[in-house]
Amino acid sequence: MAAFLNDLIAYWPQILAGLKNTALLMVIMSATGFFGGIAAFYLSLSKSRAARTWTERYISFFIGTPLLVHLFLMYYGLPELGIHLSAFTVSVIGFTLNVSAYNARYLMTAYHGLEKTELEAARAQGFTHTEIFRFIILPQAIRLSVPSLTNQIIQNLKDTSVAFLIQYHDFFAQMQEIASTNFQFFKAYMTAGGVYLALVSIIVLAARKLERHISLPGFQT
Amino acid sequence: MALIEVRNLVKKFDDKDVLKGINLELHEGQSKVVMGASGCGKSTLLRCLNLLIQPTSGEIIFKGEDITRSGVDIRKVREDIGFVFQHFALYRHLTVEDNVTLGLRKLKKMKTKEAVEKALYELERVDMVDHRDKYPAQLSGGQKQRVAIVRALAMDPAVLFLDEPTSALDPKMSREVVTVINKLFLDNITMLCVTHDPFLAKYISDSIVFMDEGIVVAEDIAERLFYDHEDPRIREFFMSVIDHR
Repeated sequence: MAAFLNDLIAYWPQILAGLKNTALLMVIMSATGFFGGIAAFYLSLSKSRAARTWTERYISFFIGTPLLVHLFLMYYGLPELGIHLSAFTVSVIGFTLNVSAYNARYLMTAYHGLEKTELEAARAQGFTHTEIFRFIILPQAIRLSVPSLTNQIIQNLKDTSVAFLIQYHDFFAQMQEIASTNFQFFKAYMTAGGVYLALVSIIVLAARKLERHISLPGFQT
Repeated sequence: MALIEVRNLVKKFDDKDVLKGINLELHEGQSKVVMGASGCGKSTLLRCLNLLIQPTSGEIIFKGEDITRSGVDIRKVREDIGFVFQHFALYRHLTVEDNVTLGLRKLKKMKTKEAVEKALYELERVDMVDHRDKYPAQLSGGQKQRVAIVRALAMDPAVLFLDEPTSALDPKMSREVVTVINKLFLDNITMLCVTHDPFLAKYISDSIVFMDEGIVVAEDIAERLFYDHEDPRIREFFMSVIDHR
């Protein structure tokens, strides 16, 4: 155990750098995935049938295929077409497309639970389609989706470890390096699991606080 | 000139004729109630008049302009027509005050302070100012409907449409709302109201339009229509709704 702790201390700068990379990727994909999800949600309610159809196809594709396939396709497949992207760029694009699709689906599910008479009332008041989306639909759909959206952030954190498979130097990549150096795989992976659990716990606490902060009478999320 | 003039309005849903050539006039300061059996087309008529439902044919002349013609900015027309719904349709993520000010701020482009002052003035008229910070889920049905009326009135519309404003309420709450609408009637607010409630109809109308199977069968004052009409369909209808109460 002492030898493993010594290794951890010796590798601390790399572990810290890995943690930073993990946090960076999670924060970026959570933000881009959130706004991407809103964009896809908006297009799902578009007056244009073509926009609705293509958005549904996009969502179905990204929910229906593994994230790893998207990452491998961009990182290992695109170079065959002469397009070379860094592991970080591929991770951000791949995760954003994937997370946006899930978030759009959560928001759509929430939308189906809204009182449609409110939307009719907003039309009767003179609001445009976009204004109704902005002032009536989105604030309610986000509130109703908070548990799903925060669970998605937890999923995002865990999924960053997949980026290790396209050479992204995240936290898990560093732990893997320690494990393969000292052959203490069990301890290394248990430590990695413990760190992920601690980070997830922080997100869960923040999510519960957010849920309480934005909860309103009449909104059961 | 009438504020609203409806000429030969027809609405078909697939092959079903819901409105079969409605003719109707509503003058400024006048209050009319549309009554008739369920499914006779009353609510469809109201929704056609601000194009929430697109009519199949016919003309709707609002302030001298046919709003069914292409090129008309229907959103501007809707800003000028207040609409109160049967099930209140308050925005449930907004407080009472924000429900009233949203349209003022975003459509009338009022500054927040001005919008709030206007909202509070209107809420005071229906005795709801103390509930300004509550959310719809914290209000009774009667209170919700009073807020819905204020939300529509705050926009200073030329006419107020009410779609069965008391039918989702128990008798006590219904009386609260009738009192409020009666006050509007006495203030000469132009109104067109669809209802089954003869009590409401009597206290808020200059005349009552009776519809049956998509056409206007009669128009008269409440007393004559309720108790003394020659058409047996009308006598039968009012006998049933008055007995029911």
